Formats: sequence, C-alpha cells, structure tokens
Amino acid sequence: MTGFHVDAGVLAAYAEGGLADVDAWSVEAHLDRCAACRTSIASDASTALVVEAVAVSLGGRLPTQGRVRRATGWRRIRVLVGAGPAARTAWLLSVAVTGVLTAGLAVSPTVVPPWLLLLIAPALPAVGTALSYGPRTDPLHELIAGTPQGGLTIVLWRTLAVLTVAAPVAVLAGAVTDIGPPGLWLLPCVGLTVLTLALGSLIEPAYAALVVAGAWAVVVLAPPVGGLAVLVSSGPGWLGVTAVAAVVVYVRRERVGRQPA
Amino acid sequence: MTTVSVDGLRVSYGKRVVFDDLDLELGVGVHGLLGPNGAGKTTLMRVLATALHPDRGDIRLLGHHIGDPSALRQARRQLGYLPQAFGFYPRFTVREFVEYFAWLKEMPPARIPLAVDRAIERVGLLERADDRMKHLSGGMLRRAGIAQAIVNDPRLLLLDEPTAGLDPEQRVQFRALLRELGLDAVVLVSTHLVEDVVAACTRVNLVDGGRLVFTGLPDELMAAGGDGDSGDSPIERGYTAVLRGARTVPR
Repeated sequence: MTGFHVDAGVLAAYAEGGLADVDAWSVEAHLDRCAACRTSIASDASTALVVEAVAVSLGGRLPTQGRVRRATGWRRIRVLVGAGPAARTAWLLSVAVTGVLTAGLAVSPTVVPPWLLLLIAPALPAVGTALSYGPRTDPLHELIAGTPQGGLTIVLWRTLAVLTVAAPVAVLAGAVTDIGPPGLWLLPCVGLTVLTLALGSLIEPAYAALVVAGAWAVVVLAPPVGGLAVLVSSGPGWLGVTAVAAVVVYVRRERVGRQPA
Repeated sequence: MTTVSVDGLRVSYGKRVVFDDLDLELGVGVHGLLGPNGAGKTTLMRVLATALHPDRGDIRLLGHHIGDPSALRQARRQLGYLPQAFGFYPRFTVREFVEYFAWLKEMPPARIPLAVDRAIERVGLLERADDRMKHLSGGMLRRAGIAQAIVNDPRLLLLDEPTAGLDPEQRVQFRALLRELGLDAVVLVSTHLVEDVVAACTRVNLVDGGRLVFTGLPDELMAAGGDGDSGDSPIERGYTAVLRGARTVPR
C-alpha cells in the first residue's frame, strides 16, 4: 500500500487504452502494488461499456423472440372481443345476407317484403350473441367458465362485438322499410338480445335464441292492431322488456356463460 | 392459506347421483386422483374448477368460500384447470391461446408477456409458439393446454388426464414439471396411469362409486396390496386390493 493513488481520470484513460506508453507503464507499476486502485478500475465506466457491448452481441445471437405483444388496455380489449367462436362465420354470413336483402328492398319493395326485414334484422344480434358462448357453440366454454373474466364479463364483450356489426344493419333496414323511425329499430335489437341473455341463464343459450327468435316471428307474422310500426315505435314497451331482462341477467350473473355442459 | 377443503359434497346429473356426502382435504403438494372410469374423477375436477355447481356442499379453495361471489373471483384468479377434453379456436396461435387465458385470469398486464412465454417454455412448446393451434399434434395440444393452466402461476392446479397423448419422453418431462409445481401449490392430477402416481405424486386419493375410498401416501397404497391381488406392479396390486375392499363393504 502507498499513500498515493492514481487520479480517477488517468485511471479511466488507462483502462480505455488512451495513455501514452510511458504513462501506462507507470500506472501499471502502481496497480501492481495498490489494491485500492485495482478495485476502482474494475468498477470503472469502461466496464459498463464492455458489458453493454457483450449484451448487444449476445442479444443478436439469441433466437428471435416471436410475436410478443405488449399488454396494453387495447390489447386486452382486442383479445377479449376478437377471440371469436367457430359460429362467427355463419353468423357474419347471415348479417351479410340481411345487408343484401336491405339493398334489394331499397331497389324495389316487390323483390323483398318489408316484414321480412323486420323479422330478421332485430333477431340477428340475439342469435349471434347466443352463438358466441355456451357449451354447444364455444369450443373453449369449459375452460373459460372457470376464469374470473369468464361468465358475464366475456359474454358482454362478445355481445358488444355482435351488436356493433348487427345494429347498423338493422338501422339501415329500418331506413329502407318505412316501418317506424329507423333509429328505433335499435330498441328491438337490444331488447331481444338482452332477453336472450336472460333466458340463456336458465336454459342453454342456443335454445334461448331459438325461443326468442320464434316468439319474435310469431309477433311479426301476426302483427298487433295498428300494424308493424307499433312493434318498432313502442319505446316504453321495449325499455320495459330490456329492463326486466337486465335484472334477470344481473341476478343470475353467475349462471350467464357458466352453465355446465 | 393454501389448502382445499370439501365438506359434504353432493353432485348429481338429473337423477344420477355422482357424489353424495364426499369430504376431501388437500394441502400443498402433488395429489394423484385415481379411480375406475365413471368414478367421478372428472366431476370432482369440474366442481373444484368452479365450472360445475354442486347441489350441496361446503367448498373452500385457498381459503376462499366459493359461495361468496367476491371470494369466488379471488379463488378463480389463482386457479389453473386443464379439462380432459378441451377445444380451441383453430386460428389462434399457441401464444395467443395462452395470452387469452392470462387476460381471462385477470393477471397484472405488466406480467403477461413474460408469463405467457415462460409457461410455453415450461411445457417445451416455445419453438411452436407462433404456430396455429390447428397445426399442432394431439400431444402438443395437450401441452398448450397445460401452458394455459400454469400461465398465472396458480396456487391450485387441476389437471384432468394431463398425460393422455404424451409420449414416454414427454411424460417424464411432465412429471418433473409436476414435482416443481407441487413445491408451492396444490396440484390435483387425475389419471388412470398408476405409474404417474408413483413417479410424481406425494399423496394419492382413490375414488370409487362416488366415495373417497383411500387417501394416503403412494407407499401406503402399495402396502395395501398382497401377492394374491391382480396387477403387474405393487401399486397396481394395492389399487385393486383397495377397490375390492371398498366394494365388499355394504353402503
């Protein structure tokens, strides 16, 4: 040990090879005798540079990490909504057909009768929702039923996805049929969907959709006094149906989407 | 508290009663669930996985009473479940499949990407992580299923026939994984391969006819068998001896 220590700047220059030969020799001679200076050279900034260089070159040699997605809020919504069941294709096809029918009616009312659109368009989201979950149509039903986000949460996400596609088609259909104000076509859409969810907590969702769609067909094919327009325009009636169904869904939420196969 | 307790469980499908008054206690470790076909192994798994509501019974999972909605949610976050038969969305990649369940199990988002890859790595599927599920073989599908079950580092892991479809080498690797998982979690493995039990389980439970007819160490099950019992190994002889004994006792 000596009382003298090499200046930190000189030490750094030595470590990076930036000293003239003569100076380097004398620093080396000192390092031979002084443990304190040897230690400080080890933790010098140049070491960090070396580590970083190693990390970069090592990172280049590792296998590529694959398509890892950052876990953002958007990613969560995309995953939860986008994870579609197998029945999606069939349902999207029927939405497309309804769109075509709507276009047909717009061309001429003799090609497509208006009541046909009223029969199909509001029932589509109900059927689509029921097909999107449940032991019969969702291959992952059993696995999802045991997770905290399974059940009502995931069913509502899927309902939202279905309504996003089906509701505009229904409004469009309403616009070309002249049965009530087009915007009000949303009421039966939502009403029948929530009704299906409520019934789906008692019986299998696929059957619930059948029952609801069947009842709707009866109502449309045997129209009440005042014609089909009453069906669409009776706002308080639909709000009542929706509210009652929503209460049932809430009370029986542990059964929505968690029915045993 | 990391235990599972079931008290007075009754489960029935319509008129057929599967369990009537079943009691079960599980602590940390790997528990084998043995029993003949139709004994109720899968039903018990589904009840513990909270996928099937029992008619009656007091069930506590990891200290949470599953009758209480918020406790049930807590329990479900710490649960991993692999059913005997499970479907998949064909267009999902393995990584998307496991990620989907990480979200469904409400994992903290910051942990998800790493946890997903770690789970896939632990079942040895990392090289196929970006392949679509429909292109996987049966054994790979089962391993992807195991990966989704362990992605949240569950404290209660339920595996129904996890070794079905695995080749002998994969089965050995899987047993090693089981022993690792059983260090700090309750792991219940149903199987009818008794070798799996000897190799990986710290305790054995045997169900038959809706009753728990044996619970104890694998060694104790082996000791129950005598030379006269049918079976090719000590544990098989013990298994048949216990079943025969349980069936001669009038209910």
